[in-house]
Amino acid sequence: MTTVQELPQIRGVKNIPVQEGYTSGHRTCQGCESALVMRLMIKAAGPRTIVVGSTGCMYVANTTYYSTPWVVPWMHTQLGSSGSAATGTAAGLASQMRKGKMKDEPINVIAFCGDGGGVDMGLSAISAALQHDEYNLLILCYDNESYANTDIQVSGSSPWGANSTFSPPGKKHRIMNNRWKKNTAPMLATGHPDCRYVATACGSYGLDFTNKIRRALTIGGPTFIHSIDPCPKGWDYDPKYSHELGMLAVETGIWVQYEIVDGELILNGPSKAIASGIRQRKPVGDYLMRQGRFAHLTEDDVKMFQGKIDQSWEEWWIPGIVPFSPES
Amino acid sequence: MTLAQAEMYQVEKEELISGSEAIAIACALADVDVITAYPIRPYDTVMQYVSKLKADGTFDCDFIVAESEHSQFEIVKHASAVGARTFCGSSGVGWFYAFEAITVTAGLRLPVVAMVGNRALDDPGAFGVEHNDAMAVRDLGWMLYWVATAQEALDTALLAWRVAEDPRVFLPFAVSCDGSFLTHSQAIVNVPDFQKVQQFLPAYDRGRLLLHPDNPITVAPQVNEDWLMEIRRQTDDAMRRTQDVIKETYEEFKQVFGRGDPSPFIEEYMTEDADIVLVGMGTLAMPVRVAIRRLREQGVKVGFLRVKFFRPFATEEIQQALSNCKAVGVIDRDYSYGSPSYGGVLFNELRAAMYPASNHPLMLNFVAGLGGREVLVRDVNQIIDTVQKAIDTGKIEEETTWVAVRE
Amino acid sequence: MSTVAVEVVYRGIFQKSLARNIVRSIVFAARKEGKIGTAFGRYGDSPERNGIPAKQFAIVADTAEELEENLAVYEAHDVDVTINVDDTMCKGVESWAWYGLQPINDLTKPNGTLIVTSRQSADSLIEDIHQREEPYNLTIVPAAPSFSGLWVYKDDHTDVRLLGALCKVCPDLVSLESMIEAIKDQGWDDLKVTSAEKAYERANQRPVEPGEGTDDVPFTFDLPGWKTMEEGLVIRGIAEGGGFRGGEEGFQPARNDVFKKYSTRSMRPIVNFDTCIKCTLCWLQCPDTCFDVTPDGLFDANMEACCGCGVCEAVCPVPECVTMINEAEFNDNDSQWEAWQKDKEGYTKWMTELIDKEKLTERTHGFHHIGQYAEEAAAQAED
Repeated sequence: MTTVQELPQIRGVKNIPVQEGYTSGHRTCQGCESALVMRLMIKAAGPRTIVVGSTGCMYVANTTYYSTPWVVPWMHTQLGSSGSAATGTAAGLASQMRKGKMKDEPINVIAFCGDGGGVDMGLSAISAALQHDEYNLLILCYDNESYANTDIQVSGSSPWGANSTFSPPGKKHRIMNNRWKKNTAPMLATGHPDCRYVATACGSYGLDFTNKIRRALTIGGPTFIHSIDPCPKGWDYDPKYSHELGMLAVETGIWVQYEIVDGELILNGPSKAIASGIRQRKPVGDYLMRQGRFAHLTEDDVKMFQGKIDQSWEEWWIPGIVPFSPES
Repeated sequence: MTLAQAEMYQVEKEELISGSEAIAIACALADVDVITAYPIRPYDTVMQYVSKLKADGTFDCDFIVAESEHSQFEIVKHASAVGARTFCGSSGVGWFYAFEAITVTAGLRLPVVAMVGNRALDDPGAFGVEHNDAMAVRDLGWMLYWVATAQEALDTALLAWRVAEDPRVFLPFAVSCDGSFLTHSQAIVNVPDFQKVQQFLPAYDRGRLLLHPDNPITVAPQVNEDWLMEIRRQTDDAMRRTQDVIKETYEEFKQVFGRGDPSPFIEEYMTEDADIVLVGMGTLAMPVRVAIRRLREQGVKVGFLRVKFFRPFATEEIQQALSNCKAVGVIDRDYSYGSPSYGGVLFNELRAAMYPASNHPLMLNFVAGLGGREVLVRDVNQIIDTVQKAIDTGKIEEETTWVAVRE
Repeated sequence: MSTVAVEVVYRGIFQKSLARNIVRSIVFAARKEGKIGTAFGRYGDSPERNGIPAKQFAIVADTAEELEENLAVYEAHDVDVTINVDDTMCKGVESWAWYGLQPINDLTKPNGTLIVTSRQSADSLIEDIHQREEPYNLTIVPAAPSFSGLWVYKDDHTDVRLLGALCKVCPDLVSLESMIEAIKDQGWDDLKVTSAEKAYERANQRPVEPGEGTDDVPFTFDLPGWKTMEEGLVIRGIAEGGGFRGGEEGFQPARNDVFKKYSTRSMRPIVNFDTCIKCTLCWLQCPDTCFDVTPDGLFDANMEACCGCGVCEAVCPVPECVTMINEAEFNDNDSQWEAWQKDKEGYTKWMTELIDKEKLTERTHGFHHIGQYAEEAAAQAED
């Protein structure tokens, strides 16, 4: 197994490096939180990094031919291939370094995917990648809760009831997406007990996000981070609220911030405060009613949504994370 | 290359191995860095042997058992982008499951070498040989070669990395081996020593296209209609350049290893004075040669043209080889439903290639040996009779005949 | 024998439904007069991005044969009328799909008309528009730009008002009567008919003579050919960047030299460097890496990279330290920090005036909460 870079945790937002690995040239939407996630990701990882990106907004909107925002080496991979792309890149480097065909040095390998590429199509390849503890790699799923790039179609990570071009509220069916968001990070953590680091994250918490990337890259082996990315295009809100909606997702308890490090669960920030009762969850309506994709929801829908979130906090074995309980 | 690896291939030797095993040994000789496997008959025999070599310490490579063929081909694609020499393969519907990755590998100009253990496509499930699986990449920028013997499999694999990794080319290379006849039957194969191989096969150097922090590039951004024509034209030009690179490389191969045909693209058997030339690919060369030898004894002027490289297609050499004959019988181990004359893929390509030629022989097509059915000497005789009849009567009754099919 | 083409230049996503309503209504109205037409968006603009300029077209002809010339194209080659539904795009547009800045009047035929929704005067708009050799006309439909997302449409009548004005300035296209029929056919209420009629009455054309407008040379880009493009789909990454303005201190990222964000903004941040507490949040939370770090540890929004999302304003803890201002107020992309360094008093005066002016006009930028559009539409209808 090749060596890893030592990326110490950053204490204080003012110590975040000024250097950028992702700059202008991308054509993402105004207020694109995923663009921020790309920027923070590479800020945290530093210049000795190879990034592989699967198809999605962060491919199509970022890198239109002859133009690139990337300072670090970057390569496209197919929609369902973030896991295999990370494995292939890491294996190619490891093999050549071991055989003396390439200078032996720690190079970060990061593959990113959207929810379409990660939570839907690419799940099996990500799962396989997380089994290869001989390779150092990070898979980052930037989850904007729809196939936003292809015109905003519902994905397995879209919340219940959300409007999308495949789930438009109609005269007969007001709710076309009856699926609840897939519980991806816990699925991957429990399914791959030897994977040393699985975390959830949100770009609105910049320092926390940066440190999660650094911890994932430093701990070694395959790691996974699932990030919730407010999307002004698909969620339909004024772009200036991207940051605020990210925080609201956490403060309402719809999104839980945590790390699973060597099998130990660590809740972060507001999620920790909520779990320990120091802080009350905000009503989900504060979050839902701010987004055009939920504009067709009735009061009963919101109540039901609230009930589902309450249940995940009050009845699940591990609140908001593990959706079952031991035999009582 | 590890010490054990070097010792194992210190001296040239003979081994009794299958075509798959020959290619596995070629992987070790070429010191391939990353190999990905996924089980499907019959190609998987190559990976069984690679894993054994690795387990015994006589081959140092990253051997990754992927969770699907799609991942299998994606993994080597990305390993190749960071400068690793790669190998993988598949068969039948497995090859099709990987098709998205297979397509982009050529688009990205990555010199991945793959073995296709030709297998009939589902449904129904069948293990036997048909060429339709490998054929599917014929328009995509893959070099595509059909081998006839285990020895040719080993030699062609070595040639494949050398040509594919040539900076003038940078295109993937598929080595097609007939299921069962090559993948599962063993023959005496000359295994060269690794010094010779190193002399012939330099290290893969991705140059300015290497994905590495020392060479920060962006690879494969999204394009619109302003760019794709130019990009396709670049790949087209690379494929055109393969013709000369293959010729040049093959001459070197013959010098270093002391074996090979006059041409890297085709093999001619008794064609010079032939009135009838049969054309085919892969292992059906054997029964065809036998039949030809017997008929020659009876004074029938018949010869055989084996197409080795299907991509690039050696148009001029083929036109030349068919410039004196009266009739051509093309034997396809594939089908192309609804195609011109309801003929096979090889037949229609060949007929198109002959259109501008000076000599216009009668051209007949024979679909044979599908699903792994043996092509027998008597089948070949029947084919030759049919072609002879066309010559005698001056007309073709049926352009495409399905051989030895029950009615 | 005639073909009439209309383009609608709009902000991606925010105004997609608006543009669609306009081009479709044109074709519906033309049918009323026995003409035939096509409505389409420029394929290269999709998938659209919030705020990034995009185009839709309506082309109307007397016969199907005449129309054919305009089918199977990405963009009309020239248009009788250009409709610009956000006046900040009078500075020109960089589409998602290609490189360079296209003047807003680039496709407008000689003596054609440019219709703009704006609260600015004609003269102040023309200041922003690239000058050209042939004359054309400018028509202003007085309104703030109508922004809404995809799921909830803001029905403030901008669509029908533009259609009304269009019938006035381009009589060859369709009559107001036919347009009104088309409006009714789409099930829109009588209030929208009235809005269209009012706009028709009010619409007037201001001739723009050759040489009027800015003499800025728009940024262009020559596409290389297959022999000079790098093989393997490879392009070179961006340089690492370094000290502020090439100096030792601060930091300035290197920036992409073929794609700038000059025309992606409908607003831009101005920074009060005197009250800034250097908390870094505007810089850290910017998705567009737009803030240069100055030697004195302040953050200077670089207009090459800013797309005007407003996150910096939202995250700034100090009141009016970062304020989003209507892009139309600016005629250059110069550094604010440098201006402040040169003349702090002058800068503060300039900044304060802009902030006060901005307070007078509520410039909304998409969905805030359920019911908001109804309130805004009501206010608009007053005009």
